[in-house]
This record gives sequence, C-alpha cells and structure tokens, in this order.
Amino acid sequence: MPYRLLPDVALADIAFEAESSTTAGLFESSGRAITDIMVDRKTLVPRVKRKVELEAGDIDRLLYDFLTEIIILKDVDSLLFKIFSVKTDGNHLSAELKGERINRVHHKLRNDVKAVTMHMFGVRRTGKKWAATVVLDI
Amino acid sequence: MEAPANFIKISDVAWEIPKSYKEGMNVPARVYATKKLLDGMDRGVIEQVTNVACLPGIVRQAYAMADAHWGYGFPIGGVAAFDIEKGVISPGGIGFDINCGMRLIRTNLSYSEVEPKVKELVDLIFRLVPAGVGVKGFLRVSEAQFDEIMKYGVKWCAENDLAWEDDPSHVEEGGFIKGADPSKVSRQARSRGIDQLGTLGSGNHYLEIQVVDPSRFFDKELAKNFGILHEDQVMVMVHCGSRGFGHQIGSDYLRIFDGAMKHYNLFVRDRELACAPFSSKEGTDYYGAMICAANMAFTNRQVIVQRVRDAFSKVFHRDAESMDMHLVYDVCHNIAKLEKHSYDGTSAEVLVHRKGATRSFGPGHPDIPAPYRRIGQPVIIGGSMETGSYLLVGTSKAMEETFGSTAHGSGRTMSRTAAKKTIRGAELQRKMLQRGIYVKAATMDGLAEEAGMAYKDISEVVETMDRAGISKKVVALRPVGNIKG
Repeated sequence: MPYRLLPDVALADIAFEAESSTTAGLFESSGRAITDIMVDRKTLVPRVKRKVELEAGDIDRLLYDFLTEIIILKDVDSLLFKIFSVKTDGNHLSAELKGERINRVHHKLRNDVKAVTMHMFGVRRTGKKWAATVVLDI
Repeated sequence: MEAPANFIKISDVAWEIPKSYKEGMNVPARVYATKKLLDGMDRGVIEQVTNVACLPGIVRQAYAMADAHWGYGFPIGGVAAFDIEKGVISPGGIGFDINCGMRLIRTNLSYSEVEPKVKELVDLIFRLVPAGVGVKGFLRVSEAQFDEIMKYGVKWCAENDLAWEDDPSHVEEGGFIKGADPSKVSRQARSRGIDQLGTLGSGNHYLEIQVVDPSRFFDKELAKNFGILHEDQVMVMVHCGSRGFGHQIGSDYLRIFDGAMKHYNLFVRDRELACAPFSSKEGTDYYGAMICAANMAFTNRQVIVQRVRDAFSKVFHRDAESMDMHLVYDVCHNIAKLEKHSYDGTSAEVLVHRKGATRSFGPGHPDIPAPYRRIGQPVIIGGSMETGSYLLVGTSKAMEETFGSTAHGSGRTMSRTAAKKTIRGAELQRKMLQRGIYVKAATMDGLAEEAGMAYKDISEVVETMDRAGISKKVVALRPVGNIKG
C-alpha cells in the first residue's frame, strides 16, 4: 500500500498514512501523497529535475523537512513533481524529483497545501514495514 | 458526541469541563454550544481544548467556541490566554495561516443594480485576484519593501497609494501590529511570501459579493454605524491570510519549538502544541516573526480590496468612492496578541491566542476605532459559501468572560474527503446558480470540499454566541457571487 487518506482526522485538513518496506520507499510514498493532494499527478509531465539534500537528527524530522521542501518548491518555483527517487539512511536524504512548472490549463489542480503539521505526525516501524502518519494544513 | 457526565452545565449555551476531567489540566475548559451543537461536536474538540488547558501559564480557562472543530493541537475555534512571565507561546495555538482573517467592505448599491452584473463582476475579480495552487500575486515588491510591509502592514499601503485615507483606522490594530522583527524570518519564508502579495489562496478562502438579508436584519440602528442602511444593500467580504509566508514561519518555529521543549522541560500531549516560554529567546523570536506575517496578511487583504474597488469601478463606470466602498472592518482570527484584561480579580497584560476565533471587544474599549467605540467592535463571522455570513458587535460580557473573544465561522462537520464523495463540484456549482449564487472556483474539487453541508449551521453558531452574550447579532449577509480559492 503506498498511502491512504484518513478521512476522519482533522476535518478542515487532510491526513494520510504512508507505508513501505523501506525508509526510502516511505519517503517516496509520502512525496506522492502530498502531491496527489495538490494535483492529479497523471496530468504532470516529468520535464524538470530537482535534487534535494537534507539532514536531520532523526527520521521524523527528516520526513517533516522533506515534505516541507516539496511545499516550498511549489510556492517558490511553482514546481510540482510526478516522480520521486529517494535514498536515505534515516538521518540524511538525497532525492531526485522530476516534474514541471504549474500550468493552470494542463494540470488538474486540487488543494493548496499550507504546511505539514505535527499533529499525530510520526514515522514508526511495524513488523517489517515502515509507516508514517501525516496531517497537512489545507 | 454526548456530553460526558462530568460536564457542568453553566447555561443552555455554555458548558464547563472541570480540571478533574484530565490529569494535568491547569485550568477548567469552557465550551460554548447549544445541546445540539455539543452533541454534533467531534470528540477531538474536547480532547484538544482540555490538552490546551494543560499548557503552562494558561490563565482562567481554555475556550472552545460554538464553531469549534477538530484541528491540529488547538481546536479550531479555540482561545487561550497566557501569563506573560510564566506562560508559553505556541504556533499551534495560532495556526500556520497567521492572521487569516475577514474583511468586509460596503457599497451603496442595491441588489437590483448589481444582480445583472454579478457574473461580470465575479469573472473580472477572478481574473484580477489570483487564487488556487501555486499562484503568484499581483503586487511586486523589492526585498526592502517587503521588510517595510512586515513592519508596517496597511500603514505601508497608505503611504504607497494602496489604501484609502480611512482604511487603516478600520482594521484591527490599525492595520499593523507593533513588535515585528524581520530578522527572525527565515530566507525560505521570505521566498515563499514575497511573490504572494495579492493572492487569495485555497482551502476555505474566498471573496464574496453579498446582500443584506431582509429577513435577518436584526439591529438596524447598530447597522447604521457601519454604513449599512438598507435591505438588499450590496457588501463584499474577503477571507484570506498571510499565505506561504505565514505558513513557512509557522513550520520553521514549530520545528524549533519541537526541539527546544526538552531544554525548557516542557511536556505537551500533542506535538502540534509545541511551545516555548513567551519570555524565552525562542518565544520572543517567534513572536517577532509571527507579527511580520500578521502585518503581511493585513497588506494582502488590503491590496485585494483595492482590486475589488477597481473591478466595481470598471463594471459600473463610476469611481469606487461614489459607490461608498469603504471598509466596515478587518478582523484577525488566527493570531496571538498582547492585550490587557481583567480576570480573577486582577488586571494584567496577557498573551491571548485565538485560533479560529475573533476578537470581540465591547463598547468603550480604546482599541476600537472612534466611530465604533460607543457600540463595540465589529465582528465578522464568515459562513460557508452557500449559507452566508454574519456581522455582529463585541460586548462587555466578552471582556468579562472570554478575554474579549468569540467564534469565527460556521465550523466543519464533514471532512474534505467525505464532502467530495458526497457531491461533485460541477453539480454544486449548478445548484448554487439555481439558488442565485454565481460561483467561480480555482478547482472543482476545492469547490465540492466547501459545500454548505460540510459545515455546521452558521445560524445556530451565531445564535449561540448571541445568547451567551459574547457577541451581538447585527445582520446576516446572503451570498450572490463567490470566488473560491
């Protein structure tokens, strides 16, 4: 399961739970989830490449910073991404994102995500899987 | 949700949750709601308002207003005041959209004059005021000008021909709050904000053409003070905030506070309640940055209103002044402010957090602009795009009971995901048109999420606050044209 929306959490906002067998996969699933909330990813073409390098004290903060970086790239450079390739050891992240500049005619846009909240936020290991719960401010 | 047995009924519209409800509560919590609203409130509201009651230095009570719903950290519709020496400041008690607020302007036009032009007006304003995901604003400023905006808000607008002479005095705090410190704002926040001046945003943000509802014109004498003189008078309401600028300041400091709490030996029940002592370096830095975002939000609403005036002028071939398009008022509903209040037999400056709550200062308060001081502060309560909005005034009882605070809107009862499953945007747009509301939306998904059925009955919310005596109804405003971000 890449991710699922949690419809009964924080009514004015949108929450999702992502899951993967690897931490890199968890970050990629979370990147796709936040983007799907902003746009129909099928309408994006991977024309532009962006590298993202991040470091944080723990995997929670690393995911918080990664998702915040996607929001910043949307606002500052008007970029939304279709493809997420992530390498991470839990404290350092190296990602290559492929997408394009927002085009109001070609892209089916949805919600403008304001921020990643810390409400219920966290990464956890359950058995052989990694999972994360994220509530986004809309 | 059934009211738990240990809730104390204060009146038909007020409930107290005693300190014994949850371990660690420093003060009781107060919920304003009719039995019907309380029964319909999600359990998250009660958990969150009682979590707020556990925060260090909170004074008197933690409040959930009648529109309260499950937010993150604080409930939306929450109010809490903190001792400035012993208390904390919490970004989660303000929200990421710092100084999200409502602005109401009047016209001297009747609906009969505007009705044939509603579509033209809405289409033009939709072009003039960018809305939706990732849009850039129409006001381009240099880094130095952006610093001035952070410090001086609407005062800067007035000095740069972007405001009418009486605009600043009709905005809460005169359109700028003192204490802004641009040096505490990150490079990322600046980058997100500098291009977003003059954007409406997304989510529940909107710009609406409204009409004074003859059937709910509650107090015509009070309304005269706001220049609202007749039934079917056309008004314009704007709901938006500090955009990516405020969102990034909130994110930056939430992360800082999350790390700093160990240092201050603070424990909270929800990470989103991350906080720091107000008197600490982190607390002071956040306050200085947060005020920058508040002043940016005042500016954003100001420049949007200038565009609305331009649009009316173009469509009606008259200057906006001749249509009396003056500001009624502009209120913040996501903010923390230093205010002097009397409580528990003392009078002191406290830090009042309002997250989805409106200041409701009563008659005679010196912070109310002179023309309104005798009657109380205008309180603008925005409803869903289908059900309309309300104008109220602040009361002395609000000063005595809620640190001069009341509700801010109708409050959601249905999640965005559930709303989209219930109705399609295009169908909603068609149904609204049949009911005389022309709506233009940045996205159809966003439109469906804001359907009236996803919200509480705003009339019940307003009636509750009126009966509680913490704000007084003046008039209801019926939507006829809506731009949805």
